[in-house]
Amino acid sequence: MTAIIECEAVERTYAQGSLTVPALRGIDLAIGRGDFATLAGPSGSGKTTLLSVIGGLDRPTGGEILIDGSPIGAMDSAQLAALRLHKIGFVFQSYSLIPVLSALENVEFILRLLGLPRAERLARARAMLHEVGLSGLEDRRPARLSGGQQQRVAVARALAPRPAIVLADEPTANLDSGNAGELIKLMERLNAASGITFLIATHDTRVIAHARRHIEMTDGRITLDERVSGPAAA
Amino acid sequence: MKELLPLLLPLGWRNLWRNPRRTLITLVVVAVGTWSVLIFAALFNALTTGSRDTTLRFLTGHGQLHAAGYLDDPSVSHSMAPPDAALRRALLAPAIAAWTERVRVPAVVQSEYRTRSATLVGVAPQSERALSDLPKEVIEGRYLSGVSDPGVVMGRDLAVRLKTRIGKRVILMAQAADGHLAEVGLTIVGLYAAGKPAEDEFVFTGLDTARSMLGLGARSSEISFAVRDEAALTAVVAELRRAAPTLDVEPWMELAPLVYTIETFGRYYTAVWLLIMFILMAIGLVNTQLMAVFERQREFGLLQALGMRPRHIVLQVVLESALLVGTGVLAGAVLAVAALAPFRRGLDLGFLAPGAEIMGESRILHPALTAVEGLAYGAIIWLLAVAAALWPALSAAQARPAAAMSR
Repeated sequence: MTAIIECEAVERTYAQGSLTVPALRGIDLAIGRGDFATLAGPSGSGKTTLLSVIGGLDRPTGGEILIDGSPIGAMDSAQLAALRLHKIGFVFQSYSLIPVLSALENVEFILRLLGLPRAERLARARAMLHEVGLSGLEDRRPARLSGGQQQRVAVARALAPRPAIVLADEPTANLDSGNAGELIKLMERLNAASGITFLIATHDTRVIAHARRHIEMTDGRITLDERVSGPAAA
Repeated sequence: MKELLPLLLPLGWRNLWRNPRRTLITLVVVAVGTWSVLIFAALFNALTTGSRDTTLRFLTGHGQLHAAGYLDDPSVSHSMAPPDAALRRALLAPAIAAWTERVRVPAVVQSEYRTRSATLVGVAPQSERALSDLPKEVIEGRYLSGVSDPGVVMGRDLAVRLKTRIGKRVILMAQAADGHLAEVGLTIVGLYAAGKPAEDEFVFTGLDTARSMLGLGARSSEISFAVRDEAALTAVVAELRRAAPTLDVEPWMELAPLVYTIETFGRYYTAVWLLIMFILMAIGLVNTQLMAVFERQREFGLLQALGMRPRHIVLQVVLESALLVGTGVLAGAVLAVAALAPFRRGLDLGFLAPGAEIMGESRILHPALTAVEGLAYGAIIWLLAVAAALWPALSAAQARPAAAMSR
């Protein structure tokens, strides 16, 4: 399996007054194309920080990250934004939808940034909402959707541009078990159907149970990296 | 970037109404600020132009022609011949709204009790009406009826000083063209009110009456003219100088330098005040925008995480400010137009008349703004607000998405 995410000795430290707090301590990691991997560990272990530096939302203080073979360390903010737009979808713990846009507009928003024609945008956004089981709720704004529905919109939005990678940070943390189960199945199905690489930071054992690769972090280091089932086809 | 406008404009408008109270307060502040800027500018315009027009619409006009030497020695010896064909053509040009000939010489006016020095002005009442407000300022009796009217119109204050009144005869004495002292007895037919200095100085009679008294034939002392558009005054003066190279042709700025200085000072004063108001508004708007952006750091982080470029974040914040302030400016402009509408015919300062007179102001102020001025002031406020939004916009765009989203 070719690697789509590569971390080479990645470090991230934060300055807190006169103290320097290391969040990532020399992470070496390669995630294969089409993988469905989970990243677990206690709070403060560096899961969210690792997702942030991989997605270009934050910059490592040491090491290098390659996305699809391209190093991102030297990219400026605009180049990182373009990289995220074209290659990386995000699903956050809190649903992070744009509150003044409807479900359809939230999904369409990212397609507008891509510059797709209106007809294609709408068709793709409707198809994605259908895919995540939200047909009929397209015109509802986030405030009128349940937590599970909002998280599905977030998944639809992340997948609408057909990214190569989806980075999800505790996507089931705010969902009840029913919604969490459906979301896991949805992500698994989309991974199997489209070959999108999923890297999911989670505490949720139900999510971990579906992963084909499981990584554990403690104190900014990878302490476990195991393949729990056969690799997905590239 | 413009392909994103159809996305960012409605998004910006909806974002404004996420916090309706703050948006409404900002709208009210901008609208009231715009209203006060426009009203202030209109009133100052009225004060400045009112003071100027009081002088220009009395005798000066937008410019005058005299025989060489008249301005240094305004006596009968510096009279000029009637306008020749070239000058007449130039005076009849479309840029000139009206013109008139006058005789204007130093004189002595004597009543049965007292004698005062004055300036005798012989006027052509018909053409004078297009140039001067004096005919409308007659408060007792009547204005002159024609060039041969043998009556006298004098200032109310001069009549008091001479202890005379309408219907009484006064003796006018002045040096005639042949050098002898001409004198003629004329009846007072009207009294005008125009502020004490003018009321004391000028005594009017018919143009031909004055010419006949002074033995001037068809000659006169000055030609006063008014232009249709003051922007064309320089060109008009140049054309008149070409048409009458032997005459002095001067614009009102040269004829009434004090009035010009006061008007210029008034305009700078207004500009400084408006600048202060603009800056205060901008400071208020920067503060509001900073608050709004600070509250939405997480959202801007999310937008960047989704792939929105930093310059698009800047555009969005600036657009929201432009929409908000644009709406406020529009509302303020409508309110200002509504507030000024009742005073289209003028704001009567009759209750302040003595003070206005001392200030050289007209009793009636005409607070008005041209569309260009209104648009310019509105645009300045709008552009200042957009510029004021740049700082918070750049701060929103420069935040790292991860840091912004963790707030």
